[in-house]
Amino acid sequence: MLRVGVIASAGVLFGGYVAGVLSDRAVFASHSVEQAHLAGRAVFPHSLAAVWDGIGRGSGEAIIVAGVLLLILTPVAGLLTSLVAFARRRDLVFTAISASVLTVILASFVIGWLTS
Amino acid sequence: MNIFELSLVLLGISIVAGVLGSLLGLGGGFVIVPFLTLVFHLDIRLAIGTSIVAVAATSSAGAARNVFASITNLRVATFLAMATTLGAVTGALLSGVFDARFLFGLFGIVLGVSGVQMLRKHAAKPEQAAKVAGECRVPAMQSSLAGGTARVTGAGLADRLALHSAYYDEAEGAEVSYVVTHTGLGLALMYLAGTVSGLLGIGSGVLKVPAMDLAMHIPMKVSTATSNLLIGLTAAASAVVYFARGDIDPLVAGPVAIGVLIGATQGSKLLVGIRADRLRVLFVTALLVVAAQMLWKGIG
Repeated sequence: MLRVGVIASAGVLFGGYVAGVLSDRAVFASHSVEQAHLAGRAVFPHSLAAVWDGIGRGSGEAIIVAGVLLLILTPVAGLLTSLVAFARRRDLVFTAISASVLTVILASFVIGWLTS
Repeated sequence: MNIFELSLVLLGISIVAGVLGSLLGLGGGFVIVPFLTLVFHLDIRLAIGTSIVAVAATSSAGAARNVFASITNLRVATFLAMATTLGAVTGALLSGVFDARFLFGLFGIVLGVSGVQMLRKHAAKPEQAAKVAGECRVPAMQSSLAGGTARVTGAGLADRLALHSAYYDEAEGAEVSYVVTHTGLGLALMYLAGTVSGLLGIGSGVLKVPAMDLAMHIPMKVSTATSNLLIGLTAAASAVVYFARGDIDPLVAGPVAIGVLIGATQGSKLLVGIRADRLRVLFVTALLVVAAQMLWKGIG
């Protein structure tokens, strides 16, 4: 499962980068744009809606962000896999432990969404 | 320099960070953050956001390898993850409450102390290897899920949860079995490590490995492999908060993520063949580097 996540996010990240370079060469070749990004003045999607929007417009940056989100979700997918494995072995204690970890992580997603 | 050239440099440095990170159970942030802030003067918020992404990448790519799985103690990881994720959420929520410089300074001191403790352990005795003649390699998921036989060792919770286990150490050419102790202390330290990670966006692996090695008596290789798994969950628990704040810039985090994924995949291969005491020395070196960085930031 982890391997799937790694390959998928790597693909999306790379694809997004290539899409960005192809569609918007000026951004990638500009020194002032680079300076803006380093200074933290650049604008880029940082909400699910903005990412979705961006992908619709074919924005390379939005696709990269989607790849990053996939990457962040990969350990969570790994956790889910082990939860299922513990459940299959009827290990109630560890199924419960895995479930509680998952709950905390999901709670952090909610908190992140609420503070955005 | 333009974005494209920056990306190439980031890619290169991230591959190195990924190799070191997955080998040592760290997120690679200790290589990436100073590089980004000192060399490129990247805004610190973005540096931290990028670091969180690097941690997630190191963890996933490192832990994705099967051989890694037979070294990682999945039960210990899942158990400790309860504390570390709670800490991460606490930390992310508290970020902004404490003076950053005080935190950095405190963190630096704690790291320095851990480093010294770990070196003393290195000097005291080499890793004990229990030679088991004709033993086959321990199958990966099977033993990680089942845990070792619950022996009555007085280790309490670790017995009841069957946390004790064994792994095949290629460098020793033997199976090494171990007993996990002080689970309560381990949980507390994990909570602290998670909070630090949520607060500063970096550095939980660097606290987790000593916690497992010193407090819980888990062998060095297992500590780093298990930490690798844990940091991914810690990162996931704080990443969304950072993401929503706009601290993850795709044109910076993207190349870094790709580089770390490449590096971490290779780094975990190295873990199999390396000698445990050598790993310990390498780890302590990295830890002291981070301690120095933290103290520097604390001073200001």
